[in-house]
Amino acid sequence: MNNFEITIDGQPVTLQPGQTILDAARQIGIDIPTLCHLKECGPLTTCLVCLVKINGKLVPSCATQAAPGMVVESESEEVHEARRTALELLFSDHVGDCLSPCQRLCPLQLNIPAMLRQIESGAMAEAVATVRQALPLPAVLGRLCNHPCEQGCRRGAADDSADIRGLERFIADHDLRLTAPYLAPCRAATGKSVAIVGTGPAGLAAAYDLARQGHSVTIFDRHDRAGGSLRAVAESELPGEVLEAEITQLQRLGVEILLNVELGTRITLDTLKSDYDSVLLAVGDNGKAETEKLAVTLTVAGIKTDAITAQTSLPGVFAAGAAVKPVKQLVRAMTEGRGAAECVHRFLMSEPVRRSGKPFSSVMGKLDAAEVQLFLQTSSDKPRHVPCDACAGFNNGEASSEAARCLHCDCRSAGNCAFQHYAQVYDADPTRFRSARAPFEQQLQPGGVIFEPGKCILCGICVKLTEMAGEPLGLTFIGRGFDVRIAAPFDHTIEEGLQKIAAQCVKHCPTGALSMK
Amino acid sequence: MSDLAFIDETVTRIGSGPEALIPILQAVQDHYGYLPQEALRRVCEQTEITPAALEGVSTFYDMFRHKPVGESVVRVCRGTACHVSGAPRVEDALRRHLHIPEGDDTDRERKFTVEPVACLGCCTLAPVVKINETTLGHASAENVPEMIESYQEIRRSASAAPSTELASDDDGQEKPTIHVGLGSCCIAKGSDQLFHVLREAVQKASIAVEVKRVGCVGICHRTPMIEVVIPGKASTYYADLSAAEAPALVRRHFPAPGIFHRASRLWTRALDSLLMEPEPSVERNAMSPRDTEVHAFLGRQVHIATEHFGTVDPLDLEEYLARGGFSALRRVLNELQPEQVIDSIEKSGLRGRGGAGFPSATKWRIVHQQPGDEKFVVCNGDEGDPGAFMDRMILESFPFRVIEGMAIAAVATGAHECIFYIRHEYPLAVKRIRAALALLEARGWIGEKLLGLDYKLAFSIMEGAGAFVCGEETALIASIEGRRGMPKLRPPFPAVAGLWGRPTLINNVETLALVPWIIRNGAEKFAAIGTAKSKGTKVFALAGHIRRGGLIEVPMGTTLREIVEEIGGGVPEGRKFKAVQIGGPSGGCVPARLADTSVDYESLGGVGAIMGSGGLVVLDNSTCMVDMARYFLQFTQEQSCGKCTFCRVGTRRMLDILERLCAGKAEKKHLDELERLAIQVGAGSLCGLGKTAPNPVLTTLRYYRDEYEAHLHGHCPAGKCSALIEYRVTADCTGCTICAQRCPVDAIPLTPYRKHHINLDLCTRCDTCRQVCPANAIEVL
Repeated sequence: MNNFEITIDGQPVTLQPGQTILDAARQIGIDIPTLCHLKECGPLTTCLVCLVKINGKLVPSCATQAAPGMVVESESEEVHEARRTALELLFSDHVGDCLSPCQRLCPLQLNIPAMLRQIESGAMAEAVATVRQALPLPAVLGRLCNHPCEQGCRRGAADDSADIRGLERFIADHDLRLTAPYLAPCRAATGKSVAIVGTGPAGLAAAYDLARQGHSVTIFDRHDRAGGSLRAVAESELPGEVLEAEITQLQRLGVEILLNVELGTRITLDTLKSDYDSVLLAVGDNGKAETEKLAVTLTVAGIKTDAITAQTSLPGVFAAGAAVKPVKQLVRAMTEGRGAAECVHRFLMSEPVRRSGKPFSSVMGKLDAAEVQLFLQTSSDKPRHVPCDACAGFNNGEASSEAARCLHCDCRSAGNCAFQHYAQVYDADPTRFRSARAPFEQQLQPGGVIFEPGKCILCGICVKLTEMAGEPLGLTFIGRGFDVRIAAPFDHTIEEGLQKIAAQCVKHCPTGALSMK
Repeated sequence: MSDLAFIDETVTRIGSGPEALIPILQAVQDHYGYLPQEALRRVCEQTEITPAALEGVSTFYDMFRHKPVGESVVRVCRGTACHVSGAPRVEDALRRHLHIPEGDDTDRERKFTVEPVACLGCCTLAPVVKINETTLGHASAENVPEMIESYQEIRRSASAAPSTELASDDDGQEKPTIHVGLGSCCIAKGSDQLFHVLREAVQKASIAVEVKRVGCVGICHRTPMIEVVIPGKASTYYADLSAAEAPALVRRHFPAPGIFHRASRLWTRALDSLLMEPEPSVERNAMSPRDTEVHAFLGRQVHIATEHFGTVDPLDLEEYLARGGFSALRRVLNELQPEQVIDSIEKSGLRGRGGAGFPSATKWRIVHQQPGDEKFVVCNGDEGDPGAFMDRMILESFPFRVIEGMAIAAVATGAHECIFYIRHEYPLAVKRIRAALALLEARGWIGEKLLGLDYKLAFSIMEGAGAFVCGEETALIASIEGRRGMPKLRPPFPAVAGLWGRPTLINNVETLALVPWIIRNGAEKFAAIGTAKSKGTKVFALAGHIRRGGLIEVPMGTTLREIVEEIGGGVPEGRKFKAVQIGGPSGGCVPARLADTSVDYESLGGVGAIMGSGGLVVLDNSTCMVDMARYFLQFTQEQSCGKCTFCRVGTRRMLDILERLCAGKAEKKHLDELERLAIQVGAGSLCGLGKTAPNPVLTTLRYYRDEYEAHLHGHCPAGKCSALIEYRVTADCTGCTICAQRCPVDAIPLTPYRKHHINLDLCTRCDTCRQVCPANAIEVL
């Protein structure tokens, strides 16, 4: 048979005999999601998230051979709905968190468990990078944040939450003590410029993100010192030198700070609009008088902005923080600044203006005592370390030992998980079919393999791989129907079933069911 | 364990390849009662079977147990007919009576194991319980103690009972005969005992009467049933006969073998019986074929797959030949080209009787056109639909006919190997097919020379191990190959790449049973029966809330109403005909108002049901349609192979919502989600099981949405969902205390001569009180 052509969503693609629809789609860059697909295993057709529509019927693209003239529908609402449903059905039986509660609760999405593991292992440079890539002004947040992360920490169910904020401060202070503190990588210069009015938390946070995106950022403030409301914090809580050091960090990133500039006197909104590609108003609530003089529409609370685009009534002019509506918490103000910065960035890049949603995470909810106990197996049993007033935070040893209290309740595959990835892409609702949750289970194997059966989606890749590798015991499906599970035969452990190819099975597991310690 | 030698012998006997796995496990289980791990490890050591394959397979099929069983195993049928007739209550009552602890299936003393079984295929006797090898029909929650007692009695007395599977005693002469139906259902009602007593009576009387085992008579609701056939005279049927009545019957019809011969002895016996006991009257059991009931039942029927029903001995090869048996195959071998045979099948319009109605000739032709001569014909006897027993009956009653149909299919497609796949829940069907094959083999008619002619055709039997999904072609193939019965995406179709990757023709039992008739009588004659697109006849198992349940064969195009009201005599007195469940878990509920729907593939599809394999369960107004949908989802959920997401998780989530509804805990949004999900499970599932699993939900939503909505408000209109109903004693109570005595959970305090009260906190809604109350003083609210 000769090469032939089919179309996917109207796009023609030339194929060789024997190729599947999935092959065809990949050939022209259409990303059909798959979980159970691994070339060497052949089509397993278990997950069915790779559905496409042919001749009015939904079929798994991984197992459907292309035939000349086939007309395939892939990126339509109906097909997406079916794929989303498959993902949502799988999530209804998925026991485990992708992201730990602390990370989910952090408005700035700091990967807290990663930071803690880096501190525990003494990988200070990595910990600094983790922190600085997520947080603007971490030394400030490490002192003043109201730490919603700690309220969510699962360790709290056993004794006390980990001292996340204290460890964040420890890392930030450590960084600032270096001669050249860590500078987050910036993208190549875009040639676009942004004027930010106000150097409070929202303005500084926005400046940090926009600078890293490669834009040229100038911040104006009518005061003689940068920091806005942070300047009102008592010296004992936030020493001025710490704030200064963090502001210096921003300047090192290329942010220009122009002080003693009041909007309406030396410069006007109109001049900013004409001199810069975009303007962000982050004047805080002290700047009310200032805003009233501007031509932007106001509400009772402050500057009127669009809930999705953060844009004011003037095109290209954005607003954030307490200038829009009162913000009580520092971390929230920064989050607002970050959100507006994202909108500004998209505006500058001519992309649809919106802020991105939260990262996807499966959510386990409350753990029972036995489940907490399971997690405690892998963490330090020491009580929470409280640094003395005089010692100004942790020393290295204390930090490492406090970080070791983390339960590692985040998934080892988070960020590297096809299931999580496609759930995000397809905007799957993991709670759509929520019902009583099965208990969380974690089998720690002496050789380092970790099996978490609740995360297994029964894709069958490991079963097939063990069969092909001639594992002496291997893994198999046990039972039938909804209760099917994966196990080694005759009550052997998972690791006994994986004597030859454990690493390969861990690598190809599409979720976090199989992982390495 | 001491006797692992058994394993070694078994492996030697059965084989050591991967395909030997299921037969080996069946042998191990038969031997040890369960699958001891030590034995399984030994199997792996002695064969090519890997531990992973063994564990996967042994946990996939229902029949395999990994824990020891009690001395007796009580299997409670969960088929549709049994479900609507109260099987869940029987199961509860059995567990209580036999002291089975919660979460276990065997009592502490290991006397009894109670386990559910998907369907025993004795639907007209619903609810059915099988204790070891004995099937008991018409079980009810309150007769459980008697049932266990009577079983133990049977067991004590049965040790000496001879086997029913005797050779024919026909000597070829025309003489009066007594036909005794000996299908599984009949046996369950005691016809085997009747058969032996009759034979004994005839022998003792030394009269020239043949007592003949025949297959299913079809009139299952009146079994045990016999037909007395005297040459030149109209036959007489006797229904509901007991063994005790049999000798009197013999005497009535055949008073004396000869006036002089042995007269004295006979007279003495007659005198004896007059003196000893009053002659039981058998008159009340008699019915003539012109009897309106029999006539109504049989009148509309056309017997093709069940030709000669109730008159032929299933294992009498001579009789089969005398009635034209194997003449079709002989013609196919001697006179017709394979293409001509396939053309004939095409002209007849025959479509698959397994459910989907795929044109049989198309399948045959594809297999025929495949190159190579390693091809297979598989008879799909994995009749898994709860509420269906047509295939069992055909296999039990007409084994030679199915074999002939298969042989014709093999010759037409160029296959040289035929495999019967029969579910293990049908032991008699397996036994009869095996015996029929043995008779043919003894004659040299199968194997090297089919019918003694130049065609090689081997036959074998594979027993299923209890998995509904194995009725699906690709799962069935996986099962024959010794794997978990998990379906594969089609194409490739089995007709191109099936068993061991070779072209494989898979036809249902009934389809194959129709083939010899078509060849013998001509395609035109078959095509003349039925509708434009659905030709010939269809066999149905008519059961549920119906007066005359049984096995029927009707021309396509007969209406549901004709089946239910004319053949079946309608629903029981005082009830209202509500719906017909047709097509089992893949089918739907057709409401009574659409009862004029014609039975053909297209019309049934049009009302949301399917023809299915032939289960036809009639439902009256005591049936809750939400419960019905829940029942079927429970079934498909348990039977899902667990492979694809939509079926494995989707059916579970649908069941969650249905359980919520039945518990009165659902909201409107759940109902919307149920419908949305049902459509998606149907569209997204990999195989037919998942694709059709939502049908019972979708049809009930279509026709009975009001009942769903009532459940949203905590009301079950049929008074069936136990969480939504209450039992109350009315003013008619006479204080007789029967309910209090029979209540299995002591929820009714004993208050003689005073009105009783039910403690609703203790009450399990088992319905016993209502059933036993002589004053009808229990009401359901």
